[in-house]
Amino acid sequence: MSKIVEISPTTRHEGHSKLVLKVDDAGIIERGDWLSITPVRGVEKLAIGKTMDQVPKIASRVCGICPIAHTLAGIESMEGSIRCEIPKDAKLLRIVLQCANRLHSTALHNILILPDFYIPGTDKKINPFTPEEPVRSVAKRIQRLREIGQTIGEIAGGEAVHPSNPRVGGMYKACTPRAKSKMYDLAKEGLVLAHEQMDFMIAVIRNMQKRDWTEVGGKQIPLPKTLGYHNQGYMAADPMYGSSNLDENPGWDPKRWTDVRPWDWYMGEGEVSLADPSYPIGGTSPVGTKVNPQMEACTGVPLYDGAPVEVGPRARLVKFKNYDEKGTWGQHIARQLEYTDCLYTIINALDEYNPSGKILADPIPQGDGSMGWAANEAPRGTDVHLAKVKDGRVLWYEMLVPTTWNFPTCSRALAGAPWQVAEMVVRGYDPCVSCATHMIVIDEDKRIVAQKLIQ
Amino acid sequence: MELSSEVNMMGTELGNYKLCVSARSTDKEILKKAQDGGIVTQLFAYALEEGIIDGAIVSGPGDEPWRPRPFVATSVEELMKSRGTRYNISPNVSFIKEATRSYGLDRIGIVGTPCQMQAVRKGQLYPAGLRDVPDKIALAIGIFCMENFPYQSIKQLVEDHAAMKLESVKKMEIGKGKFWVYGERGQVVQLPLKVTHKYEQPGCHVCLDYVANLADVSTGSVGSPDGWSTVFVRTKKGDDIWTKAIAAGCFETKSIEQVKPGLELVSKLANEKITKNQKTVEERAKFGVNKALRNPYLSPK
Amino acid sequence: MADKIKVGHVHMSGCTGCLVSLADNYGGLLTILDRYADLVYGLTLADVRHIPKMDVALVEGSVCIQDKISVDEIKETREKAAVVVAVGGCACYGNITRFSRGGQPNQPQHESFLPVGDLIKVDVYIPGCAPTPQLIRNVCVMAYLLLKGNKDQQELAKKYLTPLMQLAERGTEACGCDLMYDVINQGLCMGCGSCAAACPVRAITHEYGKPNVNREMCIKCGACYAQCPRSFFNFDVITGFEGILETIDGALK
Ligand SMILES: Cc1cc2nc3c(=O)[nH]c(=O)nc-3n(C[C@H](O)[C@H](O)[C@H](O)COP(=O)(O)OP(=O)(O)OC[C@H]3O[C@@H](n4cnc5c(N)ncnc54)[C@H](O)[C@@H]3O)c2cc1C
Ligand code: SF4
Ligand code: SF4
Ligand code: SF4
Ligand code: SF4
Repeated sequence: MSKIVEISPTTRHEGHSKLVLKVDDAGIIERGDWLSITPVRGVEKLAIGKTMDQVPKIASRVCGICPIAHTLAGIESMEGSIRCEIPKDAKLLRIVLQCANRLHSTALHNILILPDFYIPGTDKKINPFTPEEPVRSVAKRIQRLREIGQTIGEIAGGEAVHPSNPRVGGMYKACTPRAKSKMYDLAKEGLVLAHEQMDFMIAVIRNMQKRDWTEVGGKQIPLPKTLGYHNQGYMAADPMYGSSNLDENPGWDPKRWTDVRPWDWYMGEGEVSLADPSYPIGGTSPVGTKVNPQMEACTGVPLYDGAPVEVGPRARLVKFKNYDEKGTWGQHIARQLEYTDCLYTIINALDEYNPSGKILADPIPQGDGSMGWAANEAPRGTDVHLAKVKDGRVLWYEMLVPTTWNFPTCSRALAGAPWQVAEMVVRGYDPCVSCATHMIVIDEDKRIVAQKLIQ
Repeated sequence: MELSSEVNMMGTELGNYKLCVSARSTDKEILKKAQDGGIVTQLFAYALEEGIIDGAIVSGPGDEPWRPRPFVATSVEELMKSRGTRYNISPNVSFIKEATRSYGLDRIGIVGTPCQMQAVRKGQLYPAGLRDVPDKIALAIGIFCMENFPYQSIKQLVEDHAAMKLESVKKMEIGKGKFWVYGERGQVVQLPLKVTHKYEQPGCHVCLDYVANLADVSTGSVGSPDGWSTVFVRTKKGDDIWTKAIAAGCFETKSIEQVKPGLELVSKLANEKITKNQKTVEERAKFGVNKALRNPYLSPK
Repeated sequence: MADKIKVGHVHMSGCTGCLVSLADNYGGLLTILDRYADLVYGLTLADVRHIPKMDVALVEGSVCIQDKISVDEIKETREKAAVVVAVGGCACYGNITRFSRGGQPNQPQHESFLPVGDLIKVDVYIPGCAPTPQLIRNVCVMAYLLLKGNKDQQELAKKYLTPLMQLAERGTEACGCDLMYDVINQGLCMGCGSCAAACPVRAITHEYGKPNVNREMCIKCGACYAQCPRSFFNFDVITGFEGILETIDGALK
């Protein structure tokens, strides 16, 4: 008889989410439901009627870890709707900003996952905040990499967290030659550190891959070699930046996207029948706790070609670089492989950037209500925003954010693992849950197809 | 009320300082268009050349005659455009964050009135919206200030009272109890300050600082002879830069005790300003019937 | 170290940008954690799943009153924390969640988001969106001095925190309009430009020296008013800027 375990809330990622897991007698997950329980601030709905300039600024604030993705996808969906091409130098600044954000985010994610890993050659897990070596040097390097990313982002984008410089039609401010050379120097320094950090992380991940067990709450839990495997597809719009409907060869296709409701996807009512008070820290939910994922889930379930897909670093490498390593470890490795690309791309963009070039389109059309979309490759995957703008105001707005794509895929990837390591699988997706609050348009025919595919 | 009366104590009207001298730039080019002794332009030029600052937020000519506009100067050439006083509002602090962003400055110079120096220091201690700015203020130069004016006030003072066209004015000055307007063709008009009072910016009437007590270095004309400036060196940073600039021969100096009218006049004017404005602050507390106007020195409420 | 204070990060309906800002003290964050504060709670950084007792709770985000977990958590935070600090525009003033109006699947009833101060007593405000790493750092250092410092340090910390406590008492509404209501309309604006510099969405320009707020850009973060020298200016603290900045720098070396 299978039992239900609930881990709520999950930790060491952005936002609020939980795991509802059906496990067999050996504690192996038969079916996993990972869902957002972050209240829905409803940005897609509150956007309606507001100006096309303000909405991307609001959208930025759904997530403080990929605010750049939301700002850029928001702005570019507006530009897609009003059919506004921006000058080249504005685009280059956006690229610099994009890469700077990915650098900082990847480094931050290192801090969040390190406690799951061992110092190679020991049975000692890593506490990133310990003052002891060798960890302290790594922590300092991570913070410096973050500082480099955030500072470059701040110069190109105006602010390190929610960028103020991008605007519909281009950018507010061009960077001076001094600003350009400052970013350049930072990127050069970052490149050296990124190489070191990538090597360190890969060694730590490979070491983990070789282990047969990991300690959770004082117990040795076996680690399956297929941890985190799934059979879903991958989706990515671009290796680094993104795409929009204004591109000659768009990297994403709105016609291939559909949605199902959590109602049709997640488990129904149930009751926790297995609890473990020793699960760190504070235990799993007590026996008897009522669970109801299909009612509680705060996000919809977007599908591409009728099925869930994985988005993120691995998806980008699979789509554009023939990467093929599966499972949680493969996903972690893929993320580290993106480290240095962020910096090379910044350096190349700066080489091309002309500080006295034009940065704002003129004129900026006000829109006739046509649909525009932009798919930005956020650190944790494709972030698609769709918009219709008329007379400068937003008529309709949708955000298909990375973690929303990943929820159903990751849920599938949980099967086969001991429930105690479920959170490790989740963290492989570098989830960013706050923003994962998306509204749904149902396509009746495709919904049935999707349901069948899922069953 | 306690806190604000503290600054009004006799003897604190000039703020903390390590050194006070009368000084003048040794650079003739700077002096040609400087308001007084060219202290501001000279000190920034020196700091720029020495790499003490990467750039300075100064106020230069704007879209209309005598209307100032803040900008970031990163060369001596640009600094030269900012020489001279424009007696109306130039929101210099509005550039303090942008200077660290698209301008890429790590060491900022900024010049401003005493209230703008207050804004800078508040920004360093309470940076609500000034991320990564606090540790980048390398040199804050304050200029003495009795009051400032809206642009329209200057227009009316010059065009109505002094009967001159704004664009043909060469220099304006407040000194010796008068508002002076110098024309391009040599005309000089002086207006008594009682004419100018009504035109003042209302926010200046609660201002409790005359000589930029919170600057690294502050300067103004009062206390020193024509063409010379009174200079207070206040902080460690200011002291360091000033000492180096003197060693480099940037300034001629005279002991403040030896010049006329000297520090006494500075003190007197400072006390007059603070006493008068302190009174205004107090009167605001009973402006209405059992209703007060806000007192920013007590609380943000 | 027994002398450290216990600090927690409570995540309500915010975007985690406030937490990123805290982390953006980079090396300084490591020093704070080494010497002054134990992070006893913070779902993004640590595995603790339930709110423990703590000295200082840094609350990020507003509270969705249609979400029972959120409401329970904020009440529990007040019970468990000696000092509650609202970090960021959302916790202080609602920020963008002021615009929320529900109607979005999968929880269309999530309609009402309140600043923390509308549900519990908040002790200290750190406005801004994102709030700055430096102001968060200063408040953390001052909170440490207040709880663990000697008499002089406690005195300084109290004076430093006073205006931020008064901001909390002032209320839970903020936007660019405050510059009009409480500065210009009160005859206090002198055109320094701090407000324009502070605004994270470039909603403020200066027209003939005075701020103009584009109200269709303003997100209600409260940075401009908090930054304005004519919202508060405590001479007793700010005059000592040189020493205080040195102290804070020294503490984080
Ligand atoms: C509104 C106002 C009132 C003043 N009142 C007095 C007074 O009562 N007594 C007194 O002794 N001195 C006063 N001054 C200062 C004096 O006029 C000179 O600015 C000061 O002595 C510096 O002269 P300098 O030759 O050293 O500077 P310069 O080398 O000529 O450089 C002047 C600097 O002032 C800056 N500046 C010009 N206009 C403004 C402005 N509106 N706001 C901010 N910065 C500006 C420029 O950016 C430039 O960097 C006042 C200045 C202002 C702006
Ligand atoms: S009088 Fe005070 S408030 Fe007015 S401009 Fe001068 S320093 Fe500023
Ligand atoms: S205040 Fe800004 S940074 Fe903080 S949670 Fe709200 S939106 Fe995010
Ligand atoms: S910050 Fe300065 S310009 Fe803005 S309202 Fe306050 S006093 Fe006026
Ligand atoms: S005007 Fe800008 S700084 Fe002021 S509350 Fe609005 S968004 Fe914040």
